[in-house]
Formats: sequence, C-alpha cells, structure tokens
Amino acid sequence: MHEASLVRSLLRQVSDLLIAHDGQAVETIRVEMGPLSGVERLLVEIAFKRQVNDSLCCGATLQIEDVPLSAVCRDCGDEFDIERFRFRCTACDSPRVQVTGGDEFRLLDVDIQTKEKTIPTQATP
Amino acid sequence: MNTTTTIPVNRDVKAELKRQAAEMRQDFARRGTLVINVVSSPGAGKTSLLEATAKHWGGSRRMAVLVGDLATDRDAQRLAPFCPVEQLTTGGACHLEIPLVQRGLEKLGTNDFEFLFIENVGNLVCPASHDLAEHVRVVLLSVTEGDDKPAKYPKMFRTSDVVVVSKMDLLPHVPFSVEAAIADARLIQPDLRIFTVCSLTGEGVADWCEYLDERRQTLVAANAVEETASQ
Repeated sequence: MHEASLVRSLLRQVSDLLIAHDGQAVETIRVEMGPLSGVERLLVEIAFKRQVNDSLCCGATLQIEDVPLSAVCRDCGDEFDIERFRFRCTACDSPRVQVTGGDEFRLLDVDIQTKEKTIPTQATP
Repeated sequence: MNTTTTIPVNRDVKAELKRQAAEMRQDFARRGTLVINVVSSPGAGKTSLLEATAKHWGGSRRMAVLVGDLATDRDAQRLAPFCPVEQLTTGGACHLEIPLVQRGLEKLGTNDFEFLFIENVGNLVCPASHDLAEHVRVVLLSVTEGDDKPAKYPKMFRTSDVVVVSKMDLLPHVPFSVEAAIADARLIQPDLRIFTVCSLTGEGVADWCEYLDERRQTLVAANAVEETASQ
C-alpha cells in the first residue's frame, strides 16, 4: 500500500538509534507484521533493498517476522488467533474481542556494531 | 575491536504519526468539534451523503468539509452552497494524510465548527491505514457495489465505527442482501453502527444526523468531565 514511505520512516528511526548509541553500523533490523498491518511482505522487502544502501543503515539486513492476528476475549479471557478475519472468541463465541497483535508494522529490535569501550588501565605507580 | 549490541525497541513504525493524530483528536474535542472521516470506494455517495446531511440540518449546525480528490474540485463545488469547504487535491495520492488535513484547516481559516467532515479519496484500501485524527470513521457501502465488500476489505470495516448502506432506492434492482453485508461486517467489527440511507430522497438521513448529534454531545460531555477532573 505505502510500503516505500513506511520503509523510509523505518530506516530514519533506525539511523537515529545508530547515532544515539554511537554505533558504527547497523547489522540487523527485526520487524514484525501481521494480517492487519496494511503492508505486504514482498513490497517491504523490495522497498528495503532499494533504500537501505542510501541510508546510514547501509549493509543492514532486514528480518521480517510474520505474526498471526491474535486476540483476547473480553468476556472469558481466552487468548486465541483470529482466522479469516472472524472476530469471535473461539471458546465462548463472544464478539467482544480485543486485538493484541498482528495489526501493526512493528520495529522489534536492532543489532548495531559498536566500538568496544577500552577500559582505561590504571597507571601503576 | 567491534562488538554487536542489540537495542530493543518494540514500537509501531507509525507510533509518532499515531501520537500526532491522538493529540489533534484531543484538540478537536476540546474545541467541541466532532471530526468524521468519510471513506468508501469511488462513487458510493460520500459527497451526496454530505449534501443530504447539510440539507437536513439546514444551516442549524456549524459544519465544514475537507474533501480529498485526485484531480478536480467538483466535490467542493457541489458542497460549497451548503457550508465552508476546502478541496484537498492529492495529485494522485490514494488517500489523505494528516499534513493535507492540516493544510485544509489552515485554508478554512477558522476552527469553530461543531462538525468537521473529512471526505477521503474513494478507496477501500489505503485510507484504512491512516488515522486523520477523527472521532468517527464512517464507511459507505452502496448497494450497487455488492454485499461481499465487508469480507473483501476487512481492515476498512475493522477500523470503522459506522457503516452507511447507501443508494437504498436501488435495492429492488440489484442482488444485494443488506442482512448478509451487515452480518459479514459485524463478524469483522461487532460494534459497528449501521444506517441505511438514500441521499437523493433523504430516506434514513434523519437517523444518521441524530447519531452525529449524539456522538458530538457524548464527546463534549466527556471532555467537560475531563476538564473538571484536571482542575
């Protein structure tokens, strides 16, 4: 849908993290997406390949984790995955279900290379 | 010597946009403006519904419309006789985003409205993913489109508060089951409010307008409670 602009935003956020942590390079960016994320995996991968080397994240790899659409029932508390967009509790058939995952394009974590801090050795008297 | 450090984030890539939308929504609420994001496929009758709404109110409500269109200002011309309206020509973008709404608000020049309608670009896909700081998202479904649309566009119906089934005058001529469409939509979003209207004849428009009044009253009351609590 609008994968290119989302990937641009992702790379900007990761670049900011790299600077904030005084890193040398970004190695891996882990994200998750699900059936209601509004993004298509293949298009995200293509957009990432096109943009990554023009950013501070140059050379980084993207790991995409596919998550199901998960929910919790507000009546019986059952936790379940929503299949085929049927928003009904699989245990008690209540329609009062709250989505708990699979509706966002989330940045999970980032591996960055940092220079090992050299611990200043105490000068022996 | 370099080492690898994992930095945990666990945040929606759109978190900043969502925060901005939430802040604007709160500002609108404080001013007593109910914001309604009107979405549908092209030609479902968004502009006609807004015309019918304005006609029904007959100038008794302070309303304004921001209307998104790829290339023309025809919708704005249709609505101009009834209320302040600004055209947001997207130049090809398939949906509206907050910066376009902000520009439209600046052009309107005032923000003293009871109802601000944002007529989105006709599209059942992309507008579903963009929070425009609205309090109510209404999706129109015209009977000529087919009753399978809720099941085919789950994100749009999941993220909406209201379904307006439009062009009800054509129902006898098309194989559309209102019950089937509503049943499918409610599987996706059980809390949906449903209205059936014909904007041309005005059928069902009074119920829809009454709902908008109720929503605004609830918004104003909730905000008053909040203001009192924070004092």
